[in-house]
Amino acid sequence: MARLSFTHLQKSYGDTEVLKDVHLDVNDGEYLVLVGPSGCGKSTLLRCIAGLEEITAGDLTIGDRRVNDLSPKDRNVAMVFQSYALYPHMTVGQNMGFALKVQGRPASEVDQVVRKIAKSLELEDLLDRLPGQLSGGQRQRVAMGRAVVRNPDVFLFDEPLSNLDASLRSHMRLELKRLHRRLGTTIVHVTHDQVEALTLADRILVLNAGVVQQVGSPRELFDRPENTFVATFIGSPSMSLLPSVGQGTQSQIEGVDGLVPVAQDGPFTLGIRPTDWIVGEGDLTGTVEVIESLGSTALLHVELGSHKVVVQVSEPHTYKADDKIQLSVGTVHCFDRNTGIRLEDGAQ
Amino acid sequence: MTRLFSIFVVLWLLLPSWAEAVEIKLWHAYRGAEADALEKAAKQWGSENGHEIVLIALPFGAFDSKVETAIPRGNGPDLLIASHSSLGKWAGLGIVENTGPHGVPHRAQAEVALTIDGAQYGYPLAFKTLVLLYDPQKVPSPPKTTDDLIQIAKSHTGGGSFGLVYEATAAYYHAPWMHAFGADISNGSATNLDTEAHAKALALSRRLGIDEEIVPKSPSSELMSSLYNSGNAAFIISGPWFVGDITRDIAATPLPIVSETGEPAKPYLTVEGVFVADQAKHPTEAQAFAQWLSGPEGAAIRQQTGAQAVTLDGMPPSENVVVRAVEEQVNNAVLMPTDPTIPNVWEALERALRRVMRGAASPDAAVKEAAAYLEVFSRPPPPAASPTPYYGLLGLAFIGLVTWIVLNVRDPILRAEVKKHRSDYLWVLPAGLAMTLLVALPFITGAALSLFAHANGEWTFVGLRHFADILFSRDWPITSPMSFYFTLAVTILWTVTNLFLHVGIGIAMALVLREPWIRLRGMWRALLIIPWAIPNYITALIWKTMFHVQFGAINALLTAIVGGGEPVEIEWFGSFAMAFSANLITNTWLGFPFMMVVTLGALQSIPRDLEEAAIVDGASWWFRFRHVVWPLLQPALLPAIIIGSVWTFNMFNVVYLVSAGEPDGSTEILISEAYRWAFSRNNRYGYAAAYAVIIFGVLLAYSRGANRIAGKKVL
Repeated sequence: MARLSFTHLQKSYGDTEVLKDVHLDVNDGEYLVLVGPSGCGKSTLLRCIAGLEEITAGDLTIGDRRVNDLSPKDRNVAMVFQSYALYPHMTVGQNMGFALKVQGRPASEVDQVVRKIAKSLELEDLLDRLPGQLSGGQRQRVAMGRAVVRNPDVFLFDEPLSNLDASLRSHMRLELKRLHRRLGTTIVHVTHDQVEALTLADRILVLNAGVVQQVGSPRELFDRPENTFVATFIGSPSMSLLPSVGQGTQSQIEGVDGLVPVAQDGPFTLGIRPTDWIVGEGDLTGTVEVIESLGSTALLHVELGSHKVVVQVSEPHTYKADDKIQLSVGTVHCFDRNTGIRLEDGAQ
Repeated sequence: MTRLFSIFVVLWLLLPSWAEAVEIKLWHAYRGAEADALEKAAKQWGSENGHEIVLIALPFGAFDSKVETAIPRGNGPDLLIASHSSLGKWAGLGIVENTGPHGVPHRAQAEVALTIDGAQYGYPLAFKTLVLLYDPQKVPSPPKTTDDLIQIAKSHTGGGSFGLVYEATAAYYHAPWMHAFGADISNGSATNLDTEAHAKALALSRRLGIDEEIVPKSPSSELMSSLYNSGNAAFIISGPWFVGDITRDIAATPLPIVSETGEPAKPYLTVEGVFVADQAKHPTEAQAFAQWLSGPEGAAIRQQTGAQAVTLDGMPPSENVVVRAVEEQVNNAVLMPTDPTIPNVWEALERALRRVMRGAASPDAAVKEAAAYLEVFSRPPPPAASPTPYYGLLGLAFIGLVTWIVLNVRDPILRAEVKKHRSDYLWVLPAGLAMTLLVALPFITGAALSLFAHANGEWTFVGLRHFADILFSRDWPITSPMSFYFTLAVTILWTVTNLFLHVGIGIAMALVLREPWIRLRGMWRALLIIPWAIPNYITALIWKTMFHVQFGAINALLTAIVGGGEPVEIEWFGSFAMAFSANLITNTWLGFPFMMVVTLGALQSIPRDLEEAAIVDGASWWFRFRHVVWPLLQPALLPAIIIGSVWTFNMFNVVYLVSAGEPDGSTEILISEAYRWAFSRNNRYGYAAAYAVIIFGVLLAYSRGANRIAGKKVL
């Protein structure tokens, strides 16, 4: 178990900068999720921690050791790959015991450790099978088990759940959470799935184009997104962003009749989550275009002036397509029109 | 009226000469001045006689086989120019015509050479034999005796120069000394080799070729020319053919007197003649030209333009000093024997010569060994075996086959299946026919051949006798390089060591080529595949030259790297270990690209993740290779290794061309040994076929076993 810290970390391939000035401390035992769109550099950051990629500039420390120049084997980190990277010619038991065999531990000891971990992951009946004879979920658990066996300082998960179907994925999320509680080891988990990020993380790091957008707890990210990127990336469906102009205590959304009670001066971007609309009252009038029912709730896709916004209402409801509805805003987020950075004191 | 009549007479006289203007085809293997002279003569005779002579030059090495295949099928020429040494065989096969007396007198040896069993074939043209060539700038007056020769040669040896240059380990160049000691091989009998005279002759060859240190090691003809042209050779023993490539002043004299015996050295003499081919289109005209070419007018052209030592009696001596030496040498020369058993003696003698030259045996021991060796080779074929039991077996097999077919044809399911797929059989038919003709029939013929013994054109049924001889090693102790088991052991060692290196280097190269830091990957890959793309016999010949003890690139490189001023002179073909290594190096060069290409392909299919997972788990490079990469390469590599091992097992070209089995046939593998039995040891085709059948059996057993190990069907 160990702390992990990035100090002005940079990574480039030739002239292409992939990671720009990543600066962060990960606490001992913390569950950090790296999230961002494809190609944002999150996997590269993970591979830098593992030692599979060289760090171009800045420092990386695990515990109190600077590990930039240490080979992967001296960093004591364990990694679970998206593909699971199980050795197809080895049995489940051999796969799980591989790292211990590398360390030259006696066969009896390896066997003992593997059995113990296999039991905790409900894999003991599968120990003699080959990976090709396992289901996706079982393989995922074997990959986990292989990492756990090593008892590392840090776990590195590279999109470990993305190859599973939806129900298995939510089940495994829970398993991961339990595992983390049981072991208490520092975990760095890469995903592009914000639900995974919100449910698992102690803290989330949002990365876009190699630049850290925001680091914080799921709550902080949801409640106080630092910029429009985080605002739209976290939360599903996404927050609607509407160009607006502040007029003292009231603001007007461009191209929409009626005012909203948001105190700003001049042009800014107004952000509203689907859950934060108040339906049936207020100055704004929209037209329901499409309705998506999700069981306990429904999403109304509403034309508001020249904009399209998503409004969440609870089921059952009576709205139909082409209905005119009155809207007002609850909690809102205000962002600088040009930089996209959060403006304080936006909401009333 | 008379006028009209005389016009008719004139026309009648002219008519035949127009009608009979014919085209005479002549095959020869002349080059340079000799070809020019032939052309000149052909033009002159053609214009005088109103015929055209078409000259067709064939490569020297392919001449005999071309003659022997084309002429009996009626595709041959009218005339051919060849040496008398093949005449015995050709006369027997009826390839050349008995043309009767020559009309004009020729020197006695020429008359003898062209007479077979009292009948005269063709017309003699020229003599070819060895003489002593020398550099007149270095040697003012030629030596009379071998002691003189050695003494003068010594003063011209050193600093890259050699006093005497000749192919000391070839029997043809040993023959002059042999004859001077009164030894002879012409009657072909086995005991003839084990004589004191032969031993003494071998001792002289050793002294001249090795002990006196005046002769460079195994010189090729190119090397001889280049040494002479650069003024680095005082004496050359060679024939008039050597002069063609020489740019420097050269003189010649007959070979010296052998000091030990006081007898002159007597080289072999071959007589070239022009022969009328069987099935010639225009035999009369062809014979007329042949007679003219052999006679005074043709001889004069050939002597002056072609620098030939002509056979015609009473000609003035040539103005060419080399030709004059040949003309003189003819008086002290032994006509090349034409007995069909001679190649056996030749091989036995050459083997003894090489052993003596290498220091592997004393002359006395070598002649004894050679005699024993020859005894086995020239042994008459085993007595005919009774074919009855074999007919019985064959009959039983046939009955079994028929029963099997009948039983199966009655099976209604099979009949229905065949009926259903009737058109499919039609599609398979062409391939089936081709396989039958190209694979099955030659195989059955070859296997059947192994039950017969061949000697001097006659086949005797001997049953499984050859197999017994081979498998019980009846003629040789098991430890002799001639025994089947010795050769089998060498072949297995050869296959295993080769594959180890091919696979090892192939995988190493593939792994390096995959590394991200490699630049110009495509270029490296192309370069590394080149050894595979070049025909392997060319590569083998290049390596053969590179392994030359004194002038080879390998020893030159070793001299530069580790020599420290002293020349490194590794005798690459002097011991089993070195000769085997030379073959191994050559074949490794040829073999690793295939394994590299297969490995490169197989590596593509191994996800990078797997290795990265192992890296993160702390596995060293070797551990990753051993436990992750290698097990995953195996499914792709195993079939390649099985194929590669069969190729290597039968890699005839490298063994035949690089070491040629040296020393003493110890580096032969089964396939090259089979070749020797078929083509250089009295044409024992049946024995060779038995070898081939055994090789087939070994490989069949191997591939069955390999399949089992691989756990899947590969073949």
